[in-house]
Amino acid sequence: MNPTSFHVLWLLCAPPALGLLTLVRPPRHGALVLLAGLPLPLVALWLLLGLDTGPLAGQLALGPLLLHWRLDGLAALLWLLTMVLLLASALYAAGYARAAPLDARAYAWLWPLLGGLATGLGLIWIAADLLLLYAGLELMGLCAVGMLLLPGSVAALTAGLRYLLFALVGSLTWLLGIALLLGAWGRLDLAGLAAVAQPDPVTAIAVALLASGLLLKASIFPLHGWLVPVHGSAWTPVSAIHGALVVKASFFILLLLWRLLLPDAIAGALALGALGSLAVLWGGVQAWRAAGLKELVAWSTVGQLGYLMLAFPLLAGTGAAVAALAWQATWLQLAGHALAKSAMFMAAGNLLLATGATRLEGLTGTSRRLPLSLLTFGLAAVTLMGLPPSAGFTAKWLWLQASLAAGQWAWVAVLGLGTLLSAAYVFRVLRCSFVEDAPEPVLRGLPLGMELVALALALAAIGLGLAAAWPLALLPPVSVP
Amino acid sequence: MTALPLAPLLYTALLWPLLLALRPLLLALIAADQSRPRLDLLWISAPLPALALAVLGADGAVRLDAWLLGGRWELDGARRLLLAFTALLWGLAGWYARGYLGAEQARAAAGDALSRSRLLRFALFWPLTLCGNLLLLVAEDIGSFYLGFALMTFAAYPLVIHSGSPEARTGGLAYLIMAVLGEGVLLAGLLWAAGSGSALTLSQLRATLATADAGPWMGLLLWLGFGVKAGVIGLHLWLPLAHPVAPTPASAVLSGAMIKAGLVGWLGTLPLGVAGVEASFRGLGLAMLWAGLAGAFAAALLGAVQRHPKAVLAYSSVSQMGMITALVAIGLLHPESWPALGALVMLFAAHHGLSKGALFLGVGISEQAPPWPAWLLWTLLALPALSLAGVLGSGLMIKSDTKTLLYAAGAPDLALWLSLAAAGTTVLMARTLWRQWCRRAPAGIAAHRHLLAPMPLAWLLCVLAALSLPLWAGWPAGGTGDAFDELALKALPALLWPPALGLALSIVLGWTLRRVAPWLSRRLPAGDLWWPLAAGARWLRRPGQATLRWLAAVQASWVAWWVAREHGAVAGLDALTRAEGWLRRQLALLLLAVALGLAAVLLIGAEGMPLWR
Amino acid sequence: MAPAAAWGLAGLLLLVAGFCLVERQLWRACQGFVAFGLLMALAWLLLGAPWLALAEALLGAVLTGGTLLWTLRGRGALPRLALRDETPRRARVTAPLRWLLMLAWLGLTGFALLRLLGLEALTPPASATTLSAATGVLIMGPAVWGFATQRHLLRRLLAFNLLGSGVFLLLAGLAGPVAEVQGLILVGLVVALLGSVLGAALLLRLHAAAGLVSLEPAAGADP
Repeated sequence: MNPTSFHVLWLLCAPPALGLLTLVRPPRHGALVLLAGLPLPLVALWLLLGLDTGPLAGQLALGPLLLHWRLDGLAALLWLLTMVLLLASALYAAGYARAAPLDARAYAWLWPLLGGLATGLGLIWIAADLLLLYAGLELMGLCAVGMLLLPGSVAALTAGLRYLLFALVGSLTWLLGIALLLGAWGRLDLAGLAAVAQPDPVTAIAVALLASGLLLKASIFPLHGWLVPVHGSAWTPVSAIHGALVVKASFFILLLLWRLLLPDAIAGALALGALGSLAVLWGGVQAWRAAGLKELVAWSTVGQLGYLMLAFPLLAGTGAAVAALAWQATWLQLAGHALAKSAMFMAAGNLLLATGATRLEGLTGTSRRLPLSLLTFGLAAVTLMGLPPSAGFTAKWLWLQASLAAGQWAWVAVLGLGTLLSAAYVFRVLRCSFVEDAPEPVLRGLPLGMELVALALALAAIGLGLAAAWPLALLPPVSVP
Repeated sequence: MTALPLAPLLYTALLWPLLLALRPLLLALIAADQSRPRLDLLWISAPLPALALAVLGADGAVRLDAWLLGGRWELDGARRLLLAFTALLWGLAGWYARGYLGAEQARAAAGDALSRSRLLRFALFWPLTLCGNLLLLVAEDIGSFYLGFALMTFAAYPLVIHSGSPEARTGGLAYLIMAVLGEGVLLAGLLWAAGSGSALTLSQLRATLATADAGPWMGLLLWLGFGVKAGVIGLHLWLPLAHPVAPTPASAVLSGAMIKAGLVGWLGTLPLGVAGVEASFRGLGLAMLWAGLAGAFAAALLGAVQRHPKAVLAYSSVSQMGMITALVAIGLLHPESWPALGALVMLFAAHHGLSKGALFLGVGISEQAPPWPAWLLWTLLALPALSLAGVLGSGLMIKSDTKTLLYAAGAPDLALWLSLAAAGTTVLMARTLWRQWCRRAPAGIAAHRHLLAPMPLAWLLCVLAALSLPLWAGWPAGGTGDAFDELALKALPALLWPPALGLALSIVLGWTLRRVAPWLSRRLPAGDLWWPLAAGARWLRRPGQATLRWLAAVQASWVAWWVAREHGAVAGLDALTRAEGWLRRQLALLLLAVALGLAAVLLIGAEGMPLWR
Repeated sequence: MAPAAAWGLAGLLLLVAGFCLVERQLWRACQGFVAFGLLMALAWLLLGAPWLALAEALLGAVLTGGTLLWTLRGRGALPRLALRDETPRRARVTAPLRWLLMLAWLGLTGFALLRLLGLEALTPPASATTLSAATGVLIMGPAVWGFATQRHLLRRLLAFNLLGSGVFLLLAGLAGPVAEVQGLILVGLVVALLGSVLGAALLLRLHAAAGLVSLEPAAGADP
């Protein structure tokens, strides 16, 4: 049996259906979640493996409106990643609900929002026209805002409101860009746009507007201001999924459209690369200065997202070899960081939940009492720092090669400085946790599942570095203009 | 006498002193309070294996590749003689020390912590120094040789400062400064020569020096480096300062055995007697010759006005080593005469070592005299002095041989000069005995009443060994038992005029200068050049300290500058954090700005994109 | 030349939008927004998109406007907001910057509009669609200014909704009321509604929990 559009539709609709089901009776046991949720990544994997005959594409007619979708290797890989991370996050959430005092109603709402998020992300991965992309982006954004607001504290409300307002305005700039594109070229499907669109000033303005909205949603420097407060107060599984996937979806759309509409805009690509470099440095410095553990992890997200922006200058007008390297590095970094960041958020959440602290100083003595969580944190940090054999290392290595081959030396310095900064903030955490002379913290017991989920994700991030060849082989080759 | 296998003897000779040095250390570590370091018979036995090695060991070489850069130790005729008299002197001096430090041992046994620690130090470093001395004598590889040399040099420092008095500290300081200078120059020379010739053994080193272009310069460095130990004039400052303050047995081995290490170094490293070196090494040879002669005379003059008998003896050592230096220089200037001359130099070293050892030990005897008849005691005290002056025994023989050899080598002038220097030696010997007489103990000391008490017995044996040297010095070389040529009676006047001249000079000068002598002694204190140098150093210290203060101020301001920068950096980081708050508040404006900026970049950056159609 | 009805409608839209943005009496501003939504529905009718007009009237005017009004005068469990915006103005130092950025942004959009429709079609607007596009751009300007300047969250939500309406008008004006445009606008309306509902609910909870109506608690202390 080969994958059909029906399977794609099922994978889009199943998560919210499951979410709505659990709204009635929120699960408290990981086993149940695993049982119900395991088919999702399995189907995603099956879709991925079934793509060896070629990408799957189709249209959906809603009256006079034609919606285009397309499932290629990249989309299937990202979808699989999404499903795996959502399932891990759901498993973690089940344990989290038992270990932490959560508001029951808020906890019940987590599940449909999680389902909606899955649908939104799925739409983004497979969308082949701007309308679907818009719908997916908005669905994802609203679900993410809703999830981040669940704790209900003043800090969470303020941060969430800021996120909401700016996400909405970001959507409007994006919509404005689409309006210009539609006015100029008269169509919304990506394949058609690619065929007719010329890099003229209107396209440039449209892309600039689109990009600014997406940069805000992807929390790229200097539009990252909303991200850290949001993570500081959100629930751990929500932070994990948000830092790992939601911000990356916007980056995905931006890269997709940029390569479609302005593949030769070298100056703009360099500007985006410069923004990414600033993000790496700024995020690294702020993470190093951060007082709280979750803030540190959130700042590290800002920095790591900056690396992804290096894809733009290395893909624009650099030749096929460099582009191939940068293309692989980008997706590897995206996947490796998604796994590692969610693992790190979960490990940090475990540490914070067990010690009851929020600041780094509260972690003293955890090296002996919570070795598994700390080990997970360290393994995730290996990927973030880019030490071998993690996916982060492989990605940075590919980027390094690409930068050198392209003669863009500045990115080498950015990669080096970013690595140093990430080492600095990671070791700050480890130093705090290895302090032994502090009074023994009173620790709350955690379900083993929470620690195991985080550990599995951290190991997956390292394993991705070891087995990078398989997903990279499934990637569609980069198109060089 | 059947020779025993070399290797076990050699290892025992080297390791036994080490073990004995470890013993008091271990005892002190295990039981810090109870241990009473004693100079017992076991401790005295430290050089006995070496003596056995010299007497019983077969000629040959021992290799141990794992040691440093490949250990190689050898025993041959020259080394056997050196080893024999060195071990003998160390053994007798050790025995003597048992009596000399008897009072200290008694105090330590009574529980005096200071005495105990001093005794522990002595008991620890004496065998260590001995070990270094023995190692450098048998070493053939450069690594072992240098290790032994350095070990001996630095382990002897605690022996010098044993008493802890201010004079001892000054002497120790002089010793240490000169030793470090010497080691530095020596190491430079060794590394240069060994490095340029890839030499690992001393013979390879000699070959390198003989053939290398920069050979004379390497030779100069080595000569100066070893010259510190051998007391070349100008580098001799430590000798008259360290000898009087060190315990008498330590002085004896310092002057008798350890300064010979400098000579051994010369013999081991300089290309003496190698045909063809006289041209390239002529400058160095002449320098050595003149330095040697200058040392022989200057030390005689300076020593003659000293008051402390050990200081006089120290200058005498400088003088004697000056003569030896001059003889070694002949080995560079007339290589063809070196084989005979080299053997003579060895004998000279042995003769001087034992005689000087006996003289030093005798100083202690005269200070703590046994209740013997004065004529016997003073005759015995005078015997090694006479030998050294060349009136009898080995001294006479060596003088005769020297004269013969120098005439044969075509350097009769040098023979004359050496004879004159021997007159100076006589003056020094007379001065020594006179000063000993002046400082003699008023009555016999009860502790030494017993003839077999350690001090008198060791001294007597040392005198005996020194006087009997002509009888046994030959066996290491040829085994005939006679190293010296037969003395013709008619040659005696030619040999005895220098001591006679010296004696006459002593009497005349002693009588005529008796009034100015104390003044002279004050003007020319032991250590001669050391004092002006020390004054100069003190004078230089003031600007030096000012410089140091200035440097400290500079450093403080530098640190303050960095601290200020750090504050600035922290303030900058705080500003960054505040800027982050601003970025967060102005998100809307930033969104507009990013859109505009990106649009501007895209519009301007895209060439050939018409802004208006 | 566009019909006179279109001109009148455009003028009314601009007037009401401006009123909504500058009015500090929140109740009146929200009422103004309901009126604006109804005018927007008329505009869609005029442009020939009746279904869109219905959706706009329902989603935009009734539900979104109703939500905003309910936030002020509703009967929920949470305390209502004050009817007047008492938050201090933003610092005057940044005002030129705000104006500059806003104008530049408008200029950018206007430039794109001119490139697409041509100078002749816009001066004066030749048809209802071009007039709609121009009106959209003109509404976007003050809306952006309001969003960047105001602190009160309800007014920022209003500004966002007006900005959205401006974008919708521009979209319809550029491409005509084709199916794609209607789909985009429909999604935009739903998103605006959901965002407004979410925002209003959050605002109420924030007000109840901390007494805040803006994102910057320290801003009230500013002179």
